[in-house]
Parts: sequence; structure tokens; C-alpha cells
Amino acid sequence: MFNFFYNSNLFIWIEKIINFINSIFFVLLISALSFALIFSPPDYLQGDSVRIMYVHVPAAWIGLASFSCIGILSILNFIFKIKNLTIITKSIAPLGLMFTCLAIVTGSIWGQPTWGTFWAWDARITSMVILAFFYFIYIAIHKLISDEDKAIKFSSIIAALGLINIPIIKFSVEWWSTLHQPASIKITGTSTIHSSMLMPLLLMFSVLILYCALIFLMKYKTEIIRIKKKNLKRL
Amino acid sequence: MLPKKVKKRASLLAITLLVSAIGIFFILQSLNKNILYFKSPTDIKNNQNINFDKKIRVGGMVKKNSLIIKEEEIKFIITDFNNELNISFSGTVPNLFSEEKGVVAEGKLQDKTFFIADRILAKHDENYMPPELKDMMKKNAK
Amino acid sequence: MIENIILMNGYGIFVWPSFLITLLACGLFYYRTRKTLKKYEKEFAQEIKELSLEKRKTVLENSKIATRILSSYKKTF
Repeated sequence: MFNFFYNSNLFIWIEKIINFINSIFFVLLISALSFALIFSPPDYLQGDSVRIMYVHVPAAWIGLASFSCIGILSILNFIFKIKNLTIITKSIAPLGLMFTCLAIVTGSIWGQPTWGTFWAWDARITSMVILAFFYFIYIAIHKLISDEDKAIKFSSIIAALGLINIPIIKFSVEWWSTLHQPASIKITGTSTIHSSMLMPLLLMFSVLILYCALIFLMKYKTEIIRIKKKNLKRL
Repeated sequence: MLPKKVKKRASLLAITLLVSAIGIFFILQSLNKNILYFKSPTDIKNNQNINFDKKIRVGGMVKKNSLIIKEEEIKFIITDFNNELNISFSGTVPNLFSEEKGVVAEGKLQDKTFFIADRILAKHDENYMPPELKDMMKKNAK
Repeated sequence: MIENIILMNGYGIFVWPSFLITLLACGLFYYRTRKTLKKYEKEFAQEIKELSLEKRKTVLENSKIATRILSSYKKTF
């Protein structure tokens, strides 16, 4: 009985946040898109093709960030066995896979007009493809292994191993000579991107982050309903 | 204190991660040459046993005032600011290809100073700015 | 003006598809997530309907979540 009435506050908060995001999402999306596609200036070198950056870079960031989340939460889950963490990592994984694939696809579309090729097996791009594979394996384990404890064990190890790949992706452009350019936005030091282009980039990033939050909360809500339904049967 | 089981799982995971991280580090170290997408002119100068039949990629900056366009053929010099390499290419180049910009050429070495490319890729840097600002910077530089 | 925005000096054929692919993928993903959510809400509501009157009363009185799920399920119709 106890389990059935558990975390009702959380559920109400999730609904509130979903409604809030829904109310502001379209206004933000339209403004971000209009800045990214119309009002922002073209680049001095790349011209208008630089606008692809406004979807490519946020997608890549989200792909990397979600895998870092999955990796860290999976390690905690593996060690301390907290059930809720599994729900969280399982909700994030498909989102991360989608954005990683989007980063690869938009990057390849961007490569054609700037580099002159759709694809190059340089360190950055290859390590990004490996990241997509890690996502894929992680999701496949949860889909294919029906024994939940086993699935959590294997997927946690995969996620922890995949975590090693994250710094490789991040620093690949500095360690090896690649076709891909180094990072423009640095955590320390000045960014090499002009503010008139940084603004739409951050706007698009916040829109996509909100989108991720929305999907994540909806998935989390679905999981709660699923658990409630199971418990209802036991009543 | 933490239960024994938790400690055991934590140490197990830590060891697995450490071992695989070290393993991957050594694999990457040994593959280092293959991971490099292109060689610099200095690499080529220092390399003793070059296979002239094998296709390779070289990269660097297109040297200022070195670009010569003769009908079908494009000739230029790439530099990594230490050494230089002459490149000859016939075909279409990417839009971003120009002097004092990064370039990667795919093709075969004729000798240590001459390279025949059959494909040219442009490499751009991490600076993004509107054209007006670039003009201003040029003026200031003068 | 509008022509300029669409063509983007010839880069339009690269810029527009990449934005469209992103929006399309996101839209499709949202639609599927929503569909599963609605499906579970519906199944949950049906489970509640099948309960006996007494049980339904205790569940709805004691669980805010059950009431919430039911009300959001009813809203969709």
C-alpha cells in the first residue's frame, strides 16, 4: 500500500513543469528560429552555411551531456541500486541517441559546402559515431534483456565504458590533427565566436534543452503511471 | 559505513574502468599515426621511409601569394610555418579554399617536396564573425 | 527579400534541410512520447473503472496521482 501513495508531490510538480514548458515553448522556438535563420549575420568566411551551426552544435552538446548523465547515474545505480535512477537513465537514452544522430547528420550536411565532403573519418567524427553506438547498445540491452537486474548490470557497465569516450570526443580536435575545427566556445578564456552569432546559438540551445526537459518529464510521467498501474493490480 | 556489498561493487567497477581506460590509452597511443587525419609538411620531411604509391593526406596553410591558377591546373604551396610542400591539383576546389586558409589535400607524393592531389578539402578555423567585423579588423591591422 | 532568405546565396539547400530534419525528428519523437503517455493514461483509467465502487473510492481519496491521471485522461476527450 505504501508504494502506491508514494511520490505524489513529484508527480504534481512534473505536471506543473510540463504545463509551464508547453506555455512558453512555441514563443521561444519561433524567436530562436527567426534569429538563427534570418536576423543573425552570415559568417565572413562560410557565408550563410554557418547557420547550420545553430542546430549542429546544440545537438552535439546535448548528445554528449546526456551520455555523461547516463554514465554517472548508471555508476551510482550499479553501486547503490537505486530504482529511480534506472527510470531516469532509460528516459534520457533515446533523447541522447536522437540528438547524437542529428549532430552527425547536420554535421555531414554542413561539411559539404565548407570542407567539400560529406564525410571524413577524422578523430572527432569517428568518436561521435562510436558514441552513437554506445547509445544504441545501451538501449538495445534494456529492450532485449527482460530480466531487469541483469539489464541494469550490463547497461551500467556499457554506460561506464562509454564515459571514457566522452573526454576523447571533447579533446579529439586538440590531440590529433582533424578536419574538424577546434571548439569555439571555451569554458575558460574568451570564445572565438562573435556575440551576434553566440546569441542565436544559445537561444537554440535553450529551446532544445527545454524540449529535452519536456520529453524527459513526459517519459518519467509515463513510467510513474506504469508503476501505479502495476500496483493497482496488486491492491 | 557503507555495506560490504556496496563497497565490493564500487571497487569492482572502479577497477574495470581504470583498466579499460589505461587499455584505451595505450591503444590510442599505438594507433596515434593512423588517427591523424593528415600529415604536415614537417612530418613528411622527417619521415624516412615514405611509400610513394600509397595515397596519403597532407594538410597545412595555403601560403600567401603562392596560388597559381593555370586553366585546369591549380598550383600552390602549403606550409606549417616550418616546412613547405608544393601541391598540384586539377579539379574543382571547395568554396572556402583560398590563400592563408587551412587545406587538406588527398593524393600521392611524387617526391618529398612535390605532391599531386586528386582531392582538396578546405579546413576552416574556429573563428566565427560577421563580414563587417572582419573588414574592420583588416583595416585596423593596416 | 524572401528569395534571399530561402536561397541564402546558394547555401539554402544545405541550411534548410538540416533545420527541417531536426524539427521533424523532434516533432516525431514528441508525438510518439505523447502517444505512449496517453495510452498508459487510458489503460490506467480503465483499470480504475473495473474496480469495485468501494475500492475506487479509497484509491481516489488516498492517491492524488490517481485523481490527476483520471482528470488529465478525461480532458483529452
